[in-house]
Amino acid sequence: MQVAAAAKSRSAPGKKPGAIGWLLLAPMVLWLLAFVVAPTAILMVASFTSADDNTGFPVYRQKPAEDGEVAKPTYSLSNYKRIVVDDEGKLLTTEEEDIVKVDANGDEQVIGTKKVTRFAAPYLRVFGYSLLYAGIATVLCVIIGYPVAWFIGRANESSRNLLLMAVMIPFWTSFLIRTYAWVTILAEQGLLNGMLQYSKIITEPFEMLYTPGAVVLGLVYNYLPFMILPIYGSVEKLDNSLVEAALDLGAGPVRAFQRVILPLTRPGIVAGIMLVFVPAVGMFAISSLMGGGKSPMIGDVIAGQFFAGRDWPFGSALGMTLVLMFVLAFLATSRLRKAVADTE
Amino acid sequence: MNTTQTRRQALYSLVSAAALAALSPSALAQSGKPVLNLFCWSEYVPEAVIKGFEKETGIKVNVENYDSNEKMLAKLLAGGGKYDLIQPSEYVVESLIKQDKLEPIDSSAIEGFKNLDPKALNLPHDPGNKYSVPWMLGTVGIVVNTAKIKDDVKGVADVFSGKYKKRIVVLDDNREIVTWAFATQGIPINDVTPENLAKVKPIIKGWLKQVKAYDSDSPKTKFLKGDVDIGIVWSGEAATLWKESKGSGKFKYVLPAEGAHQFVDSLCIPKGTPRKEAALKFISYILRPEVSKLISEDFPYTNPNLEARKLLSKEDQENPASYPPGDPKLETFKDIGKAARDIDKMMTDLRSQ
Repeated sequence: MQVAAAAKSRSAPGKKPGAIGWLLLAPMVLWLLAFVVAPTAILMVASFTSADDNTGFPVYRQKPAEDGEVAKPTYSLSNYKRIVVDDEGKLLTTEEEDIVKVDANGDEQVIGTKKVTRFAAPYLRVFGYSLLYAGIATVLCVIIGYPVAWFIGRANESSRNLLLMAVMIPFWTSFLIRTYAWVTILAEQGLLNGMLQYSKIITEPFEMLYTPGAVVLGLVYNYLPFMILPIYGSVEKLDNSLVEAALDLGAGPVRAFQRVILPLTRPGIVAGIMLVFVPAVGMFAISSLMGGGKSPMIGDVIAGQFFAGRDWPFGSALGMTLVLMFVLAFLATSRLRKAVADTE
Repeated sequence: MNTTQTRRQALYSLVSAAALAALSPSALAQSGKPVLNLFCWSEYVPEAVIKGFEKETGIKVNVENYDSNEKMLAKLLAGGGKYDLIQPSEYVVESLIKQDKLEPIDSSAIEGFKNLDPKALNLPHDPGNKYSVPWMLGTVGIVVNTAKIKDDVKGVADVFSGKYKKRIVVLDDNREIVTWAFATQGIPINDVTPENLAKVKPIIKGWLKQVKAYDSDSPKTKFLKGDVDIGIVWSGEAATLWKESKGSGKFKYVLPAEGAHQFVDSLCIPKGTPRKEAALKFISYILRPEVSKLISEDFPYTNPNLEARKLLSKEDQENPASYPPGDPKLETFKDIGKAARDIDKMMTDLRSQ
């Protein structure tokens, strides 16, 4: 393919970087070593230790056993075990739960029970919720972001810059302020409920804030530009004559989109998904600000281990699990991409 | 000049600039002016108090804030910074004394110490106040919006009776929630054992379903915005709400009939600081009635400084959230060590269902 060939020719020189090259690269390499490689290594070692009873810090050297005691191993897999199974070693648990029906007066009545099966270890459940929220948010970002990016990419040059600016402007204020703004909008006596009530669309305020939906909204809002910008990058580069050719050769708009536009903008979509999904899974603070702390995400639970939970090793293990998940997901997607590229 | 040379020169100046930047903090620290590194709660030390102290003593105060005891502890013990004065709650004071992380304080030698309420002194976490001087006290209790809720709410059990489903805000603090459940069952609040936790687990499970939001930072905002009508929060939040409703009694503060947690936040000096003198100066400064009064006016918790209380306006003195009438059943937290983990585990389980 043309694009691939162009990419290859650009990296063709294949020369190893010389002394100057390394010197220029040094800041980035040092940065990565100091702030990515080293902390991850520390995290990994800590995740196999156990916590000090008073401080919750990792204990890298256990005290020798006293008479009649069995020495505690310094390194073990117990933290990882705790993530996967509950105290009794079960992976799944089934519980009876009431089926609640809300009657006409708004009172709740129990009309029976149902069996619910879920992960026994709470941490797996939280991982599940986080992936679910981040997944929904990513899908919504693609659905909302793609048309926006397409529109901006196809607009004429002067309005294009203006539109790009509009995407970026909210990011001139801090994340917290933007999120609090949503709290004001969604609150029970907030702007949106007020408007809906005033225009007689609803009579009673609608509960929007402090729900899982609000958490997803917070994620979509905060990460949308990270979806729009890479897709915009691909759309802008898209050669319009290819689309015209497809249409001339009898492809309908749907088919042209499916067979020509989508494959050519796929790199932007994939980059956008990576930029949105990965940080969204580990996001914290949004669930407490907009979800009222009722839908904890894994980021909140990890942060909690280092403070009130007083268990740094366990927090490290949760963090490492998250890193591992992303590495696996990254490998899987790049495999998939390669497979797709090979078949084309 | 060829290009390689200019590039080298540019790099050289870049490197030297970086080296300079790395050196400057230590250079600054050595410049003569005396400093005090204060590590305190956010929203707890008024700006006026800091400015007044700086002006009088010429000591520059560097303020760093935290929003939970555990965050403070983590930073202090991990050696993330140099702190000369900290503001831990009672169970943290106890833990720090146990670990030999605090400088002893000769309280009797501090001017103004005599102003303090004997009821705020000599508590189990630091008998004889050998390491801590109380800053503010407070309780955890129930706030009721009486415009919306007409019932006579007396205790935690009433809050979670099921009548106020989805109208409740509670502190986003797992140990507090467990404490309330213990109180309703007559379990001593510091008896955090796996058996007792198992006993209250179903009770808490029922409660959490009724909660609308968890908030430790500013639950008062949710009351003012009308998102919630009832909740269990810090007394300082309740006192502010009481002040905001101008004594109309819209927001009522009730200490739970089952008993309540009283927290005692104190000033302590971390072990090994070279600036103990400056820290002691700050402690005696805030013990002055006219200074202590400023703190109370901004943050209406229970001021242990009896002389300062006399200077407060009648309205502030009668604020029932700051100075609860009668003789309520109050208990302080003890350090529970690794039982904190059991609480965290159980609450994560309950909150992720």
